[in-house]
Amino acid sequence: MWKKKDKLPACVTENVREDLIKLVDVVKVYDTGSIKVLGLKRVNLTIKRGEFVAIMGQSGSGKSTLMNILGCLDRPTMGHFYLDGIDTAELSADELSAIRNRKIGFVFQSFNLIARTSALKNVELPMTYAHISKKTREERALMLLERVGLGKRYEHMPNELSGGQRQRVAIARALANEPPLIMADEPTGNLDTASSVEIMELFSQLHREGATVVLVTHEENIAAFAGRIIRFRDGQLVSDLPNVPQSQGQEETAKTEKEGAPC
Amino acid sequence: MLLENMSMAIHAIKANKMRSFLTMLGIIIGIGSVIAIVSIGDTMRFMVSDIYKNAGVTLAYVYVWPKDGGDMRESDYFTLDEMDRLKEVFGDEISYIDSNASTNAEAVFGRNKVKYQFEGIFSNYPEVQKINIIYGRNLNEADIKGRKNNVVLEAKGAKELFGTENAVGKTFRTTIYGTTDDYNVVGIYKEDLNPFEAMMAGTNATRSGYVPDSLLTWPNDNIYGLRLYAKEGTDMNAFSDTFTSYLAKTKNRNKEDVTFYSVSSEMGSADTIMGGLSAAVGGIAAISLLVGGIGIMNIMLVSVTERTREIGIRKALGAKTRDVLIQFLTESAILSALGGILGVAVGGGLVLLGGTLFHMKVVIKPSVILVAVGFSALVGLFFGIYPASKAAKADPIDALRYE
Repeated sequence: MWKKKDKLPACVTENVREDLIKLVDVVKVYDTGSIKVLGLKRVNLTIKRGEFVAIMGQSGSGKSTLMNILGCLDRPTMGHFYLDGIDTAELSADELSAIRNRKIGFVFQSFNLIARTSALKNVELPMTYAHISKKTREERALMLLERVGLGKRYEHMPNELSGGQRQRVAIARALANEPPLIMADEPTGNLDTASSVEIMELFSQLHREGATVVLVTHEENIAAFAGRIIRFRDGQLVSDLPNVPQSQGQEETAKTEKEGAPC
Repeated sequence: MLLENMSMAIHAIKANKMRSFLTMLGIIIGIGSVIAIVSIGDTMRFMVSDIYKNAGVTLAYVYVWPKDGGDMRESDYFTLDEMDRLKEVFGDEISYIDSNASTNAEAVFGRNKVKYQFEGIFSNYPEVQKINIIYGRNLNEADIKGRKNNVVLEAKGAKELFGTENAVGKTFRTTIYGTTDDYNVVGIYKEDLNPFEAMMAGTNATRSGYVPDSLLTWPNDNIYGLRLYAKEGTDMNAFSDTFTSYLAKTKNRNKEDVTFYSVSSEMGSADTIMGGLSAAVGGIAAISLLVGGIGIMNIMLVSVTERTREIGIRKALGAKTRDVLIQFLTESAILSALGGILGVAVGGGLVLLGGTLFHMKVVIKPSVILVAVGFSALVGLFFGIYPASKAAKADPIDALRYE
């Protein structure tokens, strides 16, 4: 399964190991039959290990296309995307599945938990596909649920959990195989403000513990949690700026909102 | 991973209980009817072979009958002397021989009248067929030689005629071959009937009894056919051949004009009928399982469409084409095998119920159950291939976007 892992492309240099994500002249064209739509126009981008990056843009800006490519759900039409040194352009669908399984933890806007399946089983899922033994899976899933603050709710079904709790299960699931990259696609899009802040705090915490987090959002106050903000428009990267995370300040604002909410 | 897939499959089947049950119905009915028919067939076969075992596999009937439709000749009949001669010539093969004579007569005792079928036997008949004497004695050599009016009656008939089972020493009046005479009861026997025979006998008001064979061949001793029991271990086919040749020669007939009808050849034809029945059952099974399988394919296609998003999630989390394929194949196989198990329960239940109602010992072979369940799982597997491959091929991005 991991034959390609060590076979790094010839152009890879020493510092690439530090570059978790490297996009080189990435172009994505959608062929809808009658017309061809340019999703991404020659994007060059590097994200180092341990970064917390927010990708922003209006709908149709190409940020979802980028998300799909970064998440190894899709391949670039032209150019190269190196994830952890592996060129994904040449991989088959099943090889991409293996990469997603080991290298990427997904957090989606609509949680995407498997219905009628307990929180524990949902967290176990990526480990099941990694063929990890049942005992290890359960232990690790319990530990992760504990870590996101849902240790006591491991038997709950998704429909018995609030939106914020569901998203925390999804985060625990994203961490299951200890992937080097956490991809969060509008993770707070379906949450109220208080839950949103809780979830973003969780991402900040993961980042402080060394995780690389790529966050796709169109909300400024959510992007503000990141250490670097990249903006897209019409399939092109228009700005790439460092950001001072306002975690603490945001938290206080959130608290007041939280307290105010019931009234 | 297999266990994981099975638990996922059972989970999915449980999530839609009613739908799963309705989908399984085709398989349930198919397997159920197969189990029922096969078990009925096996039960019948068991009973038939039981009857033959009682009748004796060495039993044969022999008579001369011109195949070309010509008239019978005087020499085509057998005589008592001839029977003795045959017994001598074929001493190594024949253990018992008689005229196969029987007659229907009404026995009268006081106001009671009972219809009887009297069977003519020689005194050594109990050596080849058990007669379970409960009172008195069997017919003996003196009864036969002296053409005595002595009879052995079956207990039930004796009770009907005399009001008591122990009728030894009593006398009744009956008419055999136009001559009315008094007959003495010397013995009473009890019939051991298997359920099938009992069922047949239940509709039959005629009682049975044994009389000396010589009474029925009297007065001219022209015997139309022979009943004989070969010795245990005799090769019936070879014996049939030599015996037929011998008779053809002595009676100056073609070999084809001599009929040698043995129970073992009848048993062969019974097996042929059962074989035909099995083929018909196989046909029914094939059709019902085909219909059931299509039902399963249909519902699996619906299920795959409904669960497109789940498939997308699984793929995003690292499920490979094979993982998704196996997941849905397992589900359709388990769905179908579950239908098979329920079908076995329904079919077996019906057969057992029937067995209880008719007081019959039913035969349900475990091998039939295993084959039925195994085959239904295979049907599920086969009809699951298309839906499962559809699921496995789904593109994760499209699947995740599916509402």
